[in-house]
Amino acid sequence: MEPVVGVNCSSIECTSLSTTTPIWQDILAQAMTGELLAAMNYASLSEICDDPEEVCDALEHCRGERGHAAAFAAEGRKIGVEVANNVDAKHWKRLREAFLRCVTERDFIGCLIVQEIMLESFAVASYSRVGKVAPGSMGETFARIAAEEEEHIGHAMSILRVERDRDAQRFDEKVYRLHLDVMTTLAQMLAKECKDGHCEVCHASCVKPALFGVSLTAVELRGASLQQYLKTLDLLGIPGEVTLAWVSQLPV
Amino acid sequence: MGESVASVASRKRVMDVDFALIGHQESWRAASDVLAVLRGPQRMPLPDDEIKDILPWIPPRVVCHVEVRSITGAKARGLYIDSFIPPDRLQAAYVHENIARVRGAAACAIKAGARIVSLGGFSSILIEGNLDQLPERHDTAFTTGNTLTVGFIVQGIKKMRELHGRNLRRSVLLIVGATGDVGSGCARCLAPSVRRVLLNARNVERLRRLAAELQAQGIQVEVATDLQQFSAAADIVICAASLASPSLLLQHIAPDAIVCDAGYPKNLSPTAEVPGAKIFFGGLGQITGGMKFAPDFRGILNRHPFPDVVHGCLLEGMALALERRFEPFSRGRGAITPARVEEMEAIAAGHGIYLAPLYNADGPIEAGRYRYTSWSRASSMSPSRSADSNLYNI
Repeated sequence: MEPVVGVNCSSIECTSLSTTTPIWQDILAQAMTGELLAAMNYASLSEICDDPEEVCDALEHCRGERGHAAAFAAEGRKIGVEVANNVDAKHWKRLREAFLRCVTERDFIGCLIVQEIMLESFAVASYSRVGKVAPGSMGETFARIAAEEEEHIGHAMSILRVERDRDAQRFDEKVYRLHLDVMTTLAQMLAKECKDGHCEVCHASCVKPALFGVSLTAVELRGASLQQYLKTLDLLGIPGEVTLAWVSQLPV
Repeated sequence: MGESVASVASRKRVMDVDFALIGHQESWRAASDVLAVLRGPQRMPLPDDEIKDILPWIPPRVVCHVEVRSITGAKARGLYIDSFIPPDRLQAAYVHENIARVRGAAACAIKAGARIVSLGGFSSILIEGNLDQLPERHDTAFTTGNTLTVGFIVQGIKKMRELHGRNLRRSVLLIVGATGDVGSGCARCLAPSVRRVLLNARNVERLRRLAAELQAQGIQVEVATDLQQFSAAADIVICAASLASPSLLLQHIAPDAIVCDAGYPKNLSPTAEVPGAKIFFGGLGQITGGMKFAPDFRGILNRHPFPDVVHGCLLEGMALALERRFEPFSRGRGAITPARVEEMEAIAAGHGIYLAPLYNADGPIEAGRYRYTSWSRASSMSPSRSADSNLYNI
């Protein structure tokens, strides 16, 4: 295992980083798990694409997400920790199952909605916040990956807008159905406190109460994620009063 | 959800938006009630701490559809857009953040195709001096709504004077926040009718300019940035700005003064801060033709002891929409004249929009002269509850 601190750190930074290392370890573990799940989702998506170009896109995204996961693992090694991951952890597993239901139904649009609108909104918002406070290269990595995930969303948005233009009512009903499934799970993940037991990703007790130690809060990460989600739904053209009601009804 | 996605989507396709009302919740209690409606009766209301954590992150957006009916039978359709300014961030420290929220709400109104937009509550205060901050759009007019607010404040003062048998000609009028759009409009309308005018605000130069304007009409005027500097005690007071410490008024007004709380949010309590004073909430009007919300936010978005009561600033947009006058009637600061107020009052009255029954934090001051119209009572615009369910072809 590499040293906990890099050789270029000042003693003050070293002390500071070493006290926050367990927090970063858990943040990285959640991020890495999310990226691996996204990679699995894109791999599954490639199996139901009819258009060869879409197959290539999905596989490319899959590789990209694996690269992100590797980047987070590398950031962990830089601060001297192994970053765990657990795509079978209870919340992540439910998110994967929701995606696989779309795959089973060969619902390409449903897959895009789950991955690009719901999961990536969460990723972009939370990585952006983490990117602002994480030290050194870790901050840069989070910010870079947030920007790359935002590009994914942009790509998917053009496909989804065309789909909504075809039949807005049907499209909105599909989004709502998936929202109930996926966003309910994400809302439970993002709750201020994990009320229903350990998330099975954090290496010890829940990291949320400790986030203030790295200038973050669970409230901020949830708020930013829901805001990003609402803005993304706005860009799709779903009426704001409808999406406001959806989000208001999520569990806390 | 109260309505299916399908019903909202189909409504959107057939609905023309005449007006949009931009507002925000003035207390956490009000915000909680709004979210409770959105969550629906089958879900537990969100705990207060969760509301405080979540609300600041909600981007400005449409909350509900509104329809108003004129006594002429004309109808206008609109939207209520909340800027989601958190109730504890109404201070100057958050001005840039709040202007950004109002800009976002304005963009929602433009996107929805609203032909006229009224700026309610704090939004109007924020924007009256920052009109250039609104998005440019030629087919959407913005009005601060301040002209009708002034009209209802002045009407309220006159009504209280009648109720309490006061002679306006012998009165000393104090206006707190006199150099703002509403304060200066009230000064222009009421100063010629009183014995003396005391103008209070923070900006000395603006105070002097307004005083000079009134003095040119032969009106006795005093100006002061500090209430203690005035030589006389006022018996009629208009608080056109929320007072940081309402008890400051106590020592400087007549014991039985008529006090109009026209600030936002309203924070004068008759029993606590100024005992003996006759306090009323000013600037409020009532739509006697009726008003509907979908979802049904009746009494939630308009939290008053009388039905169909709305702030004058919002009513101005509704009145202009009913009149089909999609123009920026109130813009900028300091342009409200008695003639413009009369014109706006006439437009509003033509559609059955009048001064609301007077009340204060303790409740009604006078008996309500108005009950829900049968049209308003069938308030929800959803098919199952509306008496007029073909409104949106649903």
